[in-house]
Amino acid sequence: MVFLDPQTLIDILLIGLSGTLICLAVHFIPVGGAPAAMAQATGIGTGTVELAAGSGLVGLITSSYMYAYEPNASMPLVMAAGALGAAVMLASTMLAGGLIYAYGVAVPFASAQVKKDPITGERQDIYVSKGTQGQGIPTICFVSGVVGSALGGAGGGLIYFVLMQYYSPLISTSAAAVAGVFTMGVFYVNSVIPSYGVGGTIEGVHDPKFRRVVPKDVFTSIVVSMLCGIVAILIAGGMS
Amino acid sequence: MVLDLTMSMAILALLGALATIAGCLEDLESDVGSQSNPNSQVQLAPQMGLLHRIFNKAISGEPISNGMSAVTGGTVAAVLLNAKFYPLTAIVIGSFIAAILYGIYATTAYAGRVASQSRFKQPLYMDIMRYTTPSIIGHNFIVNFCLVTIAYIQYAVLGYPFSIPFLALIWGISVGAIGSSVGDVHYGGEREFQNREFGCGLNTALSGRIVRKAESGLRNSIDNVWFCAKFGGPATGIGLGLTVFFSSWPTTIWGYTWTAMGVGVIILVVMIIMNRLVEINVKKAYGPYKEDKEEKEAGAVAHTH
Repeated sequence: MVFLDPQTLIDILLIGLSGTLICLAVHFIPVGGAPAAMAQATGIGTGTVELAAGSGLVGLITSSYMYAYEPNASMPLVMAAGALGAAVMLASTMLAGGLIYAYGVAVPFASAQVKKDPITGERQDIYVSKGTQGQGIPTICFVSGVVGSALGGAGGGLIYFVLMQYYSPLISTSAAAVAGVFTMGVFYVNSVIPSYGVGGTIEGVHDPKFRRVVPKDVFTSIVVSMLCGIVAILIAGGMS
Repeated sequence: MVLDLTMSMAILALLGALATIAGCLEDLESDVGSQSNPNSQVQLAPQMGLLHRIFNKAISGEPISNGMSAVTGGTVAAVLLNAKFYPLTAIVIGSFIAAILYGIYATTAYAGRVASQSRFKQPLYMDIMRYTTPSIIGHNFIVNFCLVTIAYIQYAVLGYPFSIPFLALIWGISVGAIGSSVGDVHYGGEREFQNREFGCGLNTALSGRIVRKAESGLRNSIDNVWFCAKFGGPATGIGLGLTVFFSSWPTTIWGYTWTAMGVGVIILVVMIIMNRLVEINVKKAYGPYKEDKEEKEAGAVAHTH
């Protein structure tokens, strides 16, 4: 039985772990959804799936290039390349978005979930405009987003690394395509799970919602990602 | 493919420039067609009794619709390249076909959305459809062209392991994610509610009460894209340009080493500091909305004594 091979079991476990890492990462990213696009909520003005997948896929491009051109690339280095690509994408987005909030809409950055920013210690509540849930991207949200996207990118890099190790001996030239598409699939699965938990908006690690929903979402993600891992090994059965 | 440093940097600069144009035009396309989150207000307005002449298209979320468009362009270009077409011809034809397809989705989305609002008496303006749709197609063509060109360069010149359609799909999803996060705020947070005092914040009670009058006559989506082209579009372009440039710059200079990763961390720290500087600047410039209660109470106590 192919499933009883210890290496295969480790691969499934690693895919499960990296999927869980992606799911956890999404909770760190400050997503404000539609209200944030109208400067009515703190965070980035789009959905969790869009952001997590968008940044994670940039990480996939950087990690795949690293894997292709550095034959001796270790697993941590491929993960770091993924983390770098994803974090740069999200940081650029938040920086450019911040410019719009600051000079296009002209609202000071403020979090509605905490009274003081845990990093800068600056008051937040007095800067929240009337009838909104905060606006813009305060420092704590920015840092939380960078950390989260790096975790997600690292998770994507790990899945890609594991799948390439598994598929390359079977289908040498097409392994990257299958591994890439499968990684993208795992990204989408694990970006959707948190959007049910957080209900569309979360400010990041300092949001009380974070502690409330992370355990449930992570547990769901472990189960689903392990299933993805089993499917990834199963589809290899037809490769020759 | 291994290139020398000068050539690698030249190609990276070209990719950054293409990405900047793609990002800018993607956001402007979502403004002229009214897509993504701000479109919820355009959709809501007739339900509040406010009829308008703004295009109302939401094919899907921006990342997905742009991913679809870019992957279509990439696929057609890849097929034509396989048939020995010149790369530029193949990319132009591929992007054009994808843009036409996008235009078809835009018209059906507009007609469908307005038809669903017939009970609120929102009319379907044929003149709006006639002269806004070509603008949507035009914007989308430039986005597709830039993204498929990036994918082609990455595949054929730099030798990325993924195929052209897959790379185009990933960049399409990324450009949509950035456009939806950056430029749409300028459209949704400012342009749609421009009759409010600048910087007063947007009370949720105002939802659906969008501005319907233009500088002259009634406002339409062409007026909106004119305004957003001044800030929202370029800022989105900077977002995607920075992403494409800085995600590859460290490894281009320092190779696939931990040093490159360290440089990446420094870039991230610089971005965090820049965001902090903007935060300090705006808080100083605009000040708080509410008076500090504790200070007020302390002041009142001091006064009574």
